Amino acid sequence: MNSTTIAAVAKLAVAMALLAGALSACATGADPNAMTLQAAATPATKPFPQPLVHAMCVRAVTGGEKTNPLWVSKVDDDGFKTALSTSLDGAGLSASGGTACAYPIDVNLLGLSQPSLGFDMTVTSHVNYKVYDSSGAPFVLATIDAPYTATVSDAFLGVERLKKANEGSIRASIGQFFDKLRDSTPK
Amino acid sequence: MIRKILFVVGALCVSGCAAREVTPTAMSQPGDDALGCDALQQQIAANEKAEAQYRREDKQVENGNVAKGVGSAIPFAGPLIAGSTDLSNEEQVKARALADRNQQLTYLSKQKGCTK
Repeated sequence: MNSTTIAAVAKLAVAMALLAGALSACATGADPNAMTLQAAATPATKPFPQPLVHAMCVRAVTGGEKTNPLWVSKVDDDGFKTALSTSLDGAGLSASGGTACAYPIDVNLLGLSQPSLGFDMTVTSHVNYKVYDSSGAPFVLATIDAPYTATVSDAFLGVERLKKANEGSIRASIGQFFDKLRDSTPK
Repeated sequence: MIRKILFVVGALCVSGCAAREVTPTAMSQPGDDALGCDALQQQIAANEKAEAQYRREDKQVENGNVAKGVGSAIPFAGPLIAGSTDLSNEEQVKARALADRNQQLTYLSKQKGCTK
């Protein structure tokens, strides 16, 4: 092996190490605040049905995963529950101040479809929302697939970009769920 | 040679190893109310079978991803191996969606007074 080849291999190794570093820093879980749907950011085109106002709560969230720092960013149950509860608060739907929760919500996070590499990273969350009425019957059963793309301008590091894509996808999912609630007709 | 390898890796990063498109079965579907007891039972049985198959496949994908995670530490080839990791969660999403679908079909079955 001559010196030119050795130098070229060394350059390649440095380039690959930089690339690997950029793509694989320690992963952190999705931030509940970033997954929360801000009421001001989503001007309502249609009001929520009156019976739902101050009458909803999140009863259970399942299907989430804790993030392994050596793997990729995920969304856990507690983070999702916080994000959805805060979003309900912001929309005036939460049962609070002594009001009973007449419409409990169960959420099943079916999974996140994530890319393994890439500059533009699109994550699609697949979530089942189940809303029950006061008799215990399901009155909204929504299966929502919500894609969101995070670009290099959102975050340079791949792991951070994937986290932002996860958060954006859950935010979009909650937004679509709220649209379903607006179109619903509670008893 | 090095430029070619860098080009391939760069192209991989630009294009992105996008996740496969996954469409889970919806919990509630048009026409559900019109289903009779036999039709409900048939759907529930078919969904249970498909769910079990998806769960088996999901385990295989998970094991493959663990192996690829270890392989991603290999110098030079590592990023390419990491890029082939399947994070679409297709099998998991479909299995869980079928379980929820069956929950709804079972509810409808009870509402209709079906014996099974």
